[in-house]
Amino acid sequence: MGKRRLLLIVIILILAAAATIAYLLWNKPHKDVKEAKGIRITAAYLYNQYISDSAKARTAYTDKILEVTGEVARVALNQQDQQIVLLKTNTADAFVNCTLEENAGSPKLNSTITIKGICSGYIGGDADMGLPGDVFLIRGYLNTK
Amino acid sequence: MKKAFVICSLLMFAVTGASAQLFYTKNGSVSFFSSTTMEDIKANNNQVISILNTRTGEMQFSLLNNAFHFKKALMEEHFNEDYIESAKYPKSSFKGSISNLGQVDLSKDGVYTVSVTGNLTIHGVTKAVTVPGKLTVKGGTISASAIFKVSPKDYNITIPAAVRNNIAKEIEITVTCSYEKKS
Repeated sequence: MGKRRLLLIVIILILAAAATIAYLLWNKPHKDVKEAKGIRITAAYLYNQYISDSAKARTAYTDKILEVTGEVARVALNQQDQQIVLLKTNTADAFVNCTLEENAGSPKLNSTITIKGICSGYIGGDADMGLPGDVFLIRGYLNTK
Repeated sequence: MKKAFVICSLLMFAVTGASAQLFYTKNGSVSFFSSTTMEDIKANNNQVISILNTRTGEMQFSLLNNAFHFKKALMEEHFNEDYIESAKYPKSSFKGSISNLGQVDLSKDGVYTVSVTGNLTIHGVTKAVTVPGKLTVKGGTISASAIFKVSPKDYNITIPAAVRNNIAKEIEITVTCSYEKKS
């Protein structure tokens, strides 16, 4: 086999490897929330952390997978027909607002459940109108384990 | 004395009446869409807090940038890390008011065309914008919708040359919110 031919084969192999890597990166799956383990925390504690020291809470919880336990205040559907579960905190009208990836059936109001999801952070409400903000959890699943 | 009581009750009614003009949602929706010949990119955020004061016409919207969900994980990663820089600028917001509130009768069912003027903040840059939208009143519930375009360049969002042809110069933003009355 000539040197030229060998070089050609090597180049083709490198290109094929590069194309495969690019393809895999491009189709990289989203974080597998359902099977992942999250940080265990209560809704009231999580909310208080964001209210009392937002910088610290952001480092500790934002974009992390959390397993949040709390009392169900409300179950509803958003405009995309995804289920929303509001978990109570110690502040009236303030919730850990969970948008579910997979319908959790119909959790009973005031029952204590755990939702696993990615924490996107806290959005303040409006002090003038007495509307407190929420801490948000996205891509959530009901934890049955 | 009787007169004073009537005045007092009227005043109390006026105060409680005014506070009943506030509507809000914490699960409004904002999506954006970029279309080029190379590819279409869409992302949704269903955790939008919006407040509407029907007495003054004031409207506000705020969302967390990292809550936008894309079909492809890689796009979501690039959006958060390279373009919108979510860690540095976690929120996008709009604060403004309906400029033609006089033409809206919220006590009557209907679809009202409104013009909303205010400040839009994205990526730490605030710009004055006027957005056309619709307020829909149906059986006592109010919902709002709007479609408008923003240019990433206006908000100092730089798109690397390698993907410049894949991302539209103007991104279409769609807003839909169903409000509930603040008790």
